[in-house]
Amino acid sequence: MKFTKRTKWILLLLLINVLILSACSANQNTPYKTEITGAIDTAPAGLFNPIFYMDMYEETILELTHERLVKQNEQLEFEPNLAKNWTVNEDHTSITFKLEEDVKWHDGKPFTAHDVVFTYQTMSDPDYVAAGGLRTLFVEPLLGYQEYNTGDTTDFIGVVADDDYTVTFHFTEPSITPLYMASVPIIPKHVFEDIPIKDMPGAPASQEAESIIGTGPYKFVHITDRERYIFLRHEDYWQGTPEIERLNYRVVESSVMIGLIEKGEIDFVGRPSGINSADFNTLAENNNLQTIEQLDFSYQVLGFKLNHRTNADVENNAIEPNNWVENDKLSNPKVRRAIAYALNREGMVNGLLYGKGAVINSPIAPQHWASSEERTKQYAFDSEQAKILLDEAGYKDIDGDGFRETPDGKPWRLNMKYPAGNELRERTAPLIKQQLEDVGISVNLKQPKEMSAFLIDMENDNEQDDTDLYLIGWGLETSDPDPTELWSSYTPWNYSRWHNESSDEFIQKAISAPDGLDQDNRAEIYASWQELFSEDLPAVLLYVEPALWIYNKRIDGVYPLPHTLFNDIHKWSVDVE
Amino acid sequence: MSRYIIRRLLVFIPMLFLLTIIIFALAKAAPGDPLTGKQLDPTVSKEVYEIQREELGLNDSLPKQYWNWLSSLASGDLGNSMYYNGRSVESLISSRLLNTVYLGVFAYLITLAISIPLGIYSAKRPYSILDYTATTFSFIGLAIPNFFFGLIGIYIFSIHLGWLPSQSTMSDPLLTGIPALLDRLHHMILPSFTLALAGTATYMRYVRSEALDILGSEYIRMAKAKGMKERTILYKHTLRNALIPIITLSGYEFGILLGGAVITEQVFNYPGLGMLFIESIMNRDYPVIMSINLLLGATILFGNLLSDILYSVADPRIRYD
Repeated sequence: MKFTKRTKWILLLLLINVLILSACSANQNTPYKTEITGAIDTAPAGLFNPIFYMDMYEETILELTHERLVKQNEQLEFEPNLAKNWTVNEDHTSITFKLEEDVKWHDGKPFTAHDVVFTYQTMSDPDYVAAGGLRTLFVEPLLGYQEYNTGDTTDFIGVVADDDYTVTFHFTEPSITPLYMASVPIIPKHVFEDIPIKDMPGAPASQEAESIIGTGPYKFVHITDRERYIFLRHEDYWQGTPEIERLNYRVVESSVMIGLIEKGEIDFVGRPSGINSADFNTLAENNNLQTIEQLDFSYQVLGFKLNHRTNADVENNAIEPNNWVENDKLSNPKVRRAIAYALNREGMVNGLLYGKGAVINSPIAPQHWASSEERTKQYAFDSEQAKILLDEAGYKDIDGDGFRETPDGKPWRLNMKYPAGNELRERTAPLIKQQLEDVGISVNLKQPKEMSAFLIDMENDNEQDDTDLYLIGWGLETSDPDPTELWSSYTPWNYSRWHNESSDEFIQKAISAPDGLDQDNRAEIYASWQELFSEDLPAVLLYVEPALWIYNKRIDGVYPLPHTLFNDIHKWSVDVE
Repeated sequence: MSRYIIRRLLVFIPMLFLLTIIIFALAKAAPGDPLTGKQLDPTVSKEVYEIQREELGLNDSLPKQYWNWLSSLASGDLGNSMYYNGRSVESLISSRLLNTVYLGVFAYLITLAISIPLGIYSAKRPYSILDYTATTFSFIGLAIPNFFFGLIGIYIFSIHLGWLPSQSTMSDPLLTGIPALLDRLHHMILPSFTLALAGTATYMRYVRSEALDILGSEYIRMAKAKGMKERTILYKHTLRNALIPIITLSGYEFGILLGGAVITEQVFNYPGLGMLFIESIMNRDYPVIMSINLLLGATILFGNLLSDILYSVADPRIRYD
């Protein structure tokens, strides 16, 4: 049989038609009446175990499947969740939780106090860190942690089950933040107890959809790596069966996401991806969509390199503030304040963030009860003020080249470094250079380096290091405002090498008994610290990026919180046509 | 011929070995290690990373690290990812390899199907309207960056018209059998055309110039003089000889199709080897970098061998002893 040219073409067209049509019809085969789809712009690493996970994408997905004893409300205060209530003992060294009694794991087994003990015991184990675990912060304050972690004893006394539904946390020192310490998502003992800790991250129970067991409102049913994550409702969920049967999470390229949201293929986008500031207003005009505009828990910083470490200290990984060598180029606080005045931060927010986001002067996230913006020194854009301060400090342009020299007449050029990879930051850097040059400060803007290379530069800050200014973004803890890790003298992340004894005293006082035990008292200490920070100014806080979320109005019952879109997600519902 | 192939295959082994040493040295020369990037989380103390460095063997001397990798490779184990906790290199690569092969082969077929006929026809009637149109399009194809073409494709065909899906490799992973295959093909249309675009332009230019050369040569004039049919001249004598540059290009194309589709993969969120490769370099995930490089190196070497063999099929004057 021989085909003529024409029949061949017709056959080909038919084949293509069949292909397309069959693929289209395949889309509508789902047996679920109620189904919603969310999107993230970057794939999670794929380790869905709440004590081992690595990134914020996993963290967000784990919010659906796993739960904590306590959760945070609108004011970021802790509220009961798996724990019904709690009592703290008199000297604040222990806290006892009464647990909900009818909580079931996804596989139907009951949730008990032994699961809580198991979770914390695993994290205290000598093998936990070697297996890739990072969150020792939550177990280090527990009573007997040292002895258990070094293998001196096999008795774990930090968290104890008093009975099946009562569990007590014991701390070595009076604990300022016992609820924060108790906020690790709980993993099931019956699933993990026979798995050696070193094998836990690679085990199916941490990686494969059907084997991941939590108590959350949704359970994992399918993973297509880096594409799609599918959940079904947990029928036995203790707060009531979730309304929506199936929930999908898709990984979608950010430039395509907007189109898919408008088309209705994507129903919600929340933390951590969010929507681009540039596209947000367009979406806000769409009547089918509800936008949510909040601040992110992070800020971008222009840091001043105040001190360098000695060569020997860098060699030995030591942080000894008393050995530090002062960076003369920035040692005068007037100069740092002048730089703060010279920066048009409002302009950056308006120009780069389309007016979303905010300018802050306090290094504590504005969402926290501890934030005290009114006590800080405000540096509204004022280049005249900047020039006056620089003149006062003796930095004047003597040779008439348009740039100021040091008080003793030497050239004064500030080296500025920043990491590549964040578009916003890359656009901010040249603006800063320009604004500083407008007041006569000569800036040598170095080529951006890739993040890993940049961090190595920041950590090799020995006497030969020529860094003066640096840009970096910090993600902030949503659970507690303690700034120890970013700004105390002894933390490696204090890249400014800011050494201020009053600051260290405030920070320490706020997390120690008795001053820290009372929240109002603690807030007052933080207020004084924030005031000090803004006056001594180890860094200018450039801006807080916005958290721009969105959901399709066909979903009812969405009440977002500052840190999550998934507030009572079991009560979300959609209309069935 | 078979002796030639064996000889070539034997040369591969030291070449691949050398390649791994170079790649290892280059990967290690980049600042940082798999844990550096993670260190931006201030709630995790530095000692934690020190313990993990020790555990991963990152504190060993470089020759020792290389030797560890090589000896585990020799026993058939690609090792574990140092960045993705608890995942073997094998599982990371295997989940992407199939996607990439599907996409690469599909795109390559499209490239050939468009570029060869267009090239031959342009050569047959040089400076005709068709020739100018094809030439213009091929230059546009070369000039437009892939991602841009991809985005335009997504805007028109998936968001505006709604005919084609724009993201990922399938719409419902719970499908099986024929519907699943068709679903996959449906998802491959946009990315594979995008990927094929630049290649088509290059190939077409090659075929055209080569065919032009051949059409002017004496044996073709001879064939015409003998009164041979134009179809026969074109398909039997011209096309076959014009394929030589295509075969040369194809040898390299194998490697490029496996590892070079990064941007297309990103725009269509089509998880393939290219994206994994870039990520592993960013994350300094040495075992993954080494394994993918080995895979790409081997494919390019085999591709070249294959194209050498195909030369003798296309052009009987070429012989190997």
